[in-house]
Amino acid sequence: MEHPSPSRRKFLAAIGNLASVSWVSMNWPQIAVAAQHMGHGTADTSAPPATLSTLSAAEAAEIDAIANQIVPGGATPGAREARVIYFIDNALGSFFAAQLPSFRQGLADFERGYAARHGAGKPFSAAPEAQQISWLTEIEKTPFFMAVRRLVVLGLIALPKYGGNHNDVGWNMLGVEDSHVWAPPFGYYDRDYAGFVPYPGTKPYTA
Amino acid sequence: MQGKMYKTSETVDFIVVGSGAAGGIVARELARAGNSVVVMEQGPRMAPEDFEHDELKYRYLSGITNNPATNPQTFRNDPGQTAQRTAGRNPLTYARVVGGSSAHFNANFWRLHEIDFIEGSRLGPIAGASLVDWPITYAELEPYYTKVEWEVGVSGLAGASPFDPPRSKPYPMPPLPVKSSGVLFERGARKLGLHPFPAPMAINSVEYKNRPACIQCGLCGGFACEVMAKSSSVWTVIPEAEATKRCEVRADSYVFRIGMNRAGRATGVHYYDRDRKEQFQNARAVVVCANGSETPKLLLNSATNAFPQGLANSSGAVGRYLMFNKGGGVAARFEHQLNEYKGANVTRVMHDFYDSDPKRGFYGGGGFDARSGGPLTWGQDVPKGTPNWGSGFKEYLESYTYWMTVSGHGTSLAVETNRVDIDPDLKDDWGVPAMRVTYKDHPDDVKHAQWQVERGAEIMDAAGAKEIVPREIGAASGGVHLLGTCRMGNDPATSVVDKYNRTHDVRNLFLCDGSSMVTSGRGQPTQTIEALAFRAGEFIAKFAKANEI
Repeated sequence: MEHPSPSRRKFLAAIGNLASVSWVSMNWPQIAVAAQHMGHGTADTSAPPATLSTLSAAEAAEIDAIANQIVPGGATPGAREARVIYFIDNALGSFFAAQLPSFRQGLADFERGYAARHGAGKPFSAAPEAQQISWLTEIEKTPFFMAVRRLVVLGLIALPKYGGNHNDVGWNMLGVEDSHVWAPPFGYYDRDYAGFVPYPGTKPYTA
Repeated sequence: MQGKMYKTSETVDFIVVGSGAAGGIVARELARAGNSVVVMEQGPRMAPEDFEHDELKYRYLSGITNNPATNPQTFRNDPGQTAQRTAGRNPLTYARVVGGSSAHFNANFWRLHEIDFIEGSRLGPIAGASLVDWPITYAELEPYYTKVEWEVGVSGLAGASPFDPPRSKPYPMPPLPVKSSGVLFERGARKLGLHPFPAPMAINSVEYKNRPACIQCGLCGGFACEVMAKSSSVWTVIPEAEATKRCEVRADSYVFRIGMNRAGRATGVHYYDRDRKEQFQNARAVVVCANGSETPKLLLNSATNAFPQGLANSSGAVGRYLMFNKGGGVAARFEHQLNEYKGANVTRVMHDFYDSDPKRGFYGGGGFDARSGGPLTWGQDVPKGTPNWGSGFKEYLESYTYWMTVSGHGTSLAVETNRVDIDPDLKDDWGVPAMRVTYKDHPDDVKHAQWQVERGAEIMDAAGAKEIVPREIGAASGGVHLLGTCRMGNDPATSVVDKYNRTHDVRNLFLCDGSSMVTSGRGQPTQTIEALAFRAGEFIAKFAKANEI
């Protein structure tokens, strides 16, 4: 703890702008500790899951292919690059374990339906993109697809420690910077705010 | 962490059940008046560094809220239906930690207005509802609203709203810095001749009472404040109660029954400790501040031969008249980035439409605010017409920082059949009979919410929004503002507690939390709950001193 991490230094600098110097000097160790537990930036020391522990490789390949169409890559990274598949694998093996049986059933139905339509020779994940999109469009109202979609969005935006949002891909996509301390101006419209103008007949007053 | 500890065999002056917005204040007031106090809290005690900026955990995995896996509830719309467990989170959600829901609130602190206390006589009766006057007036509660602002800590600009009720003092802190959503909301509303004003928030805008100013992390609602800038009981009144050396806060202690003797007096509480071992704490009096769902559940689960319908329930009103705060709003996208994930959630509020106006053809009133939500919750839904997967969905995700929300917060009418009671079959992980929720919106609540959607759209249009997405008004299936279920009143035949929060039926049993509220107010009940708690704490301490308990 002798050498504050970059995020901790940034945090303390920001705190210095907002709170009184005496307060910070009195309390900063506690605040700094709090900041390190926020799950942002370098705060998290445990490595996120990066191997499969619940889904088989074949199952994961299919889910990853679906995820890659739900939030595609391209000019900028998408769900695949965010490693959403590791989030989904982690979730179904732990906090969403209750959903695993119906999820697997849904995947089996998905593959069976795909094989019936396009032949059993190759899995969905090996199909050309246009064919994948076409099949997903057909099944986009199914509970299975909605479940995958929900997990993809969660995995994209949740903290990287859960397995997805690798390299902050999800936050970067949304335009969210990885920090827990901000100071005004926050956005375009509050930059030039001239201050609150009282209404006729009112007399705002302060302590 | 704390000093004073009592043995269960000791008879303390007061047990306070619940450590939230009301419980913390009542405990502090009673302890400062010289009483020995044990605060019972279902959940754990968390230190600032234990709270995380983890939307998944706090929004989807019941991180600090009542967990449907261990504390299940059932829900139905009509008393004729069999209530079922619902998917996802519980219908009635609250924070289950020391500090209660004050730990995770958004911190919007609105006083009720004078009209809120007298709507029954001014606007009632209303078919299908029980709209009645409070037994106290705004003037009687005003000193305690002021006490909340100064003792707990609220920032704001007094006198800024032409619709503000009378006040005896300004706020102790200036308002928080405005966000882009606040600027746009103010711009649009002013163009329409309306009167938005800086939001009163229970968040420090400057250092106050040895707690720092807000660091603008952006995650208030649903989260606890790791720098203690949010005025949650766990950072404010609880430490002050403990500083008296007369108050013990007993975490992980789940009270499931109130003990009663043959004379009809409360003797203490039965609870499960952190090892799920049954314990009994003796006390001279009990104050239940467990929230609008857990308070009636506890009374109903405490039935005895002398009180077969549940404790303090001779009126039959325990658990009835459950109210949330229905409302409607819109999302709006602008040309430039707002970055609403930064900064305290709400910075501008408007009360032009606070009063119910008979000309609209329905009962209802409310306030509006400009606000934001965390990215994880936002990403789950798309506006109508926007693809929910594929490259079009990705483009939508990329627009996150350009959006804001205008939220209307409004009235819910008290309806006798809307209630919390006990499910005949379901038990929780401790074997305690679980709560059953019966709720159906009053038609006026739905009409008012839809009316609010239209007003929100007008304001965002006037502000220059590029896209406006009206929120669909669905049937209420639960809430987080849990109000009205042990209503206050002068008549023991129709209410549960008197104007000092004492139960009509049991002399040494008091209730104070959202359950005491007679009407719902306009959406931000916590300051009223805390004002009631300061008032109740003061009077209960006086009764104790005068040997009138």
